[in-house]
Amino acid sequence: MSAGWPVRGWKGKITRMNLLVRFLLSLVLTLTALPSRSQMTIEIIGGASNKVPIAILPFRMQLEGGPNPGDVITTDLERSGYFRLLDSKGGVSPADTDALALSEWKSRGADAVVMGHVIPAREGRVEVRFWLYDAVRMAQLAALSYTTTPAGLRSVAHRISDLVHEKLLGEPGAYSGRIAYILKRGSRYELQVADADSQNPITVVASPEPIISPAWSPDGQKLAYVSFENRKPVVYVQNLADGQRKAVANFRGSNSAPAWSPDGRGLAVVLSKDDTSQIYLLDLQTGEARRFTRGGALDTEPLFSPDGRWLYFTSDRGGSPQIYRADIASGDVSRITFEGGYNVSPALSPDGKTLAFVHRRDGRFRIAVMDLASRQMQVLTDTTFDESPSFAANGRLLLYATLVNGRGVLATVSVDGRVRQRLSQSGDLREPAWAR
Amino acid sequence: MKQAIPALILLALLAGCAEQPPKDAVIEDRAIRSSPPAVTGYPVDARPATGRPMDTPAMAAARTDGTTAPAADAARPQAGAQLIETRPLAGADAQVKPLDGTPLDGERKDEASTADVQNVIALKLKDPNSPLSKRIIHFDFDSSVIRDEFRGLLEAHAEFLKSNPDSKVILQGHTDERGSREYNLALGQRRAESVYSALSLLGVGDAQMEAVSLGEEKPLVEGHDESAWQQNRRAEILYQGE
Repeated sequence: MSAGWPVRGWKGKITRMNLLVRFLLSLVLTLTALPSRSQMTIEIIGGASNKVPIAILPFRMQLEGGPNPGDVITTDLERSGYFRLLDSKGGVSPADTDALALSEWKSRGADAVVMGHVIPAREGRVEVRFWLYDAVRMAQLAALSYTTTPAGLRSVAHRISDLVHEKLLGEPGAYSGRIAYILKRGSRYELQVADADSQNPITVVASPEPIISPAWSPDGQKLAYVSFENRKPVVYVQNLADGQRKAVANFRGSNSAPAWSPDGRGLAVVLSKDDTSQIYLLDLQTGEARRFTRGGALDTEPLFSPDGRWLYFTSDRGGSPQIYRADIASGDVSRITFEGGYNVSPALSPDGKTLAFVHRRDGRFRIAVMDLASRQMQVLTDTTFDESPSFAANGRLLLYATLVNGRGVLATVSVDGRVRQRLSQSGDLREPAWAR
Repeated sequence: MKQAIPALILLALLAGCAEQPPKDAVIEDRAIRSSPPAVTGYPVDARPATGRPMDTPAMAAARTDGTTAPAADAARPQAGAQLIETRPLAGADAQVKPLDGTPLDGERKDEASTADVQNVIALKLKDPNSPLSKRIIHFDFDSSVIRDEFRGLLEAHAEFLKSNPDSKVILQGHTDERGSREYNLALGQRRAESVYSALSLLGVGDAQMEAVSLGEEKPLVEGHDESAWQQNRRAEILYQGE
């Protein structure tokens, strides 16, 4: 029971007025988001049935400028769909943990409280201290200090979000990763890299011709992608630190669908130099491409399992596009998907146990997952043009591309299908890939 | 009555905004930089800072250093100076260099040596009455079979290529936008190969042709309906130097 509300006789009206106010507010926010060119809009749909009520106190900042980590953590946790954020705007984190009114937060409904400080450190660096409390048991769950540059504040905040998520829900969060995607604005294609919350986007390649299929190297230092700048698809690998790049597959015909081997030394690619589209294993040191699949069927979208044992791929060898996997050592191939006439774009969870893919049913392309042990399949989305699923490092969230009102947007869905978000921008967003 | 008014306003607003039903969604907007700087000092290293437990009172004593790269404002390529730009993510001494392959590099070299051929082609291909002006072969849904109506078109190009052995074509296959981009790339490749085989059977040499795919990336017609899709399922014949 929330104290202080004029409940009797007004409840109905308040609820309705609240709805109206909230709706108008969201309308205003939507409209203000329109004019600016590069506004990223984030929309959350659904959420967990039992959200953890949590209070994130604004961090005490002994520093001019820079984001308040408390705000970043609040946004992260709110977006996840697993937390209910209590209003904590009034109370900045106390200077001392003893001054934290834990029982008061408990009486206001909080199960957990986060407080923190940002303190100047030596050589222009900053120290971020944070504490996480269980308000129900009145116990400290975490107390950590991070030292970083002022520019690293946001990324420290994401790592705190990961930790809070893990401490309270028992599984790691996916707030601190990076994503790559293609942004098409007019006739310009940009390969961008951004934080997992789509902040800090940086264009790493810009071209007047299409770019598709970005793939992160296992160490997160390089991106492989397909560029059409020479009137045909060619596979490039680009070093992110210095922007240097190299055409690694530029054979006669088409070169596409790069997938990194787990050791980062090679790529599986699709080439048409000898036959119709077939999978080859490319050694990045020698440049040698060894043919892996054979036969007149079309084979594409290769993907290594994290343990390096399997190569998953899409093939129409059975008459319709389906996902298969080959034992890399023996070359033996078995079919994985059977339900429906179109299953493509395989993605694997980091533990290799769950397969995500695009499944067509009744003319609609949607994201589905399959537990590889039981072969149970579940469709997660209800949109029509879903593409390119990619797992977050925690294996609990999938990032994918879809069309909303004819425009490309990025979306995430939890592997249980309950929490969904959309990220949109002026221009078309497509081909997302989550860094491991 | 009083209670009905807000409800009516809400209804009217909802009706007016039927395009974007709010449902229960929370809509937030957050600014990202309108012109993101080329280099923002974002750490390339996956571990931008180090964390350590704060269980001892001597917290300030032993300081663990983070690994965040220093901010760098260097190295922003001149916009428009080149067709393709790459940018480093971070690194103070990073420099953006021109890329190895600017588009159509190879063809530029050939242009001079085959200038006369290009002229002949240019003349013939520009003539709207010439069958060579027709370059597009359309396909049925999920098919790479060349329909009879395109036989004349292919024969005209085969004759031209045979009588101009220095001329070369790139055969580009295309698909509609539905489904996976990479799978569509492979489907488009099949369409290009289908045209390649047809020209090959008509006597055109392998050295004069290359079959490639642009998948769904270069639609002839924008649009998300069957009429657009139908026009976009195609193969195109492009002469070198055009």
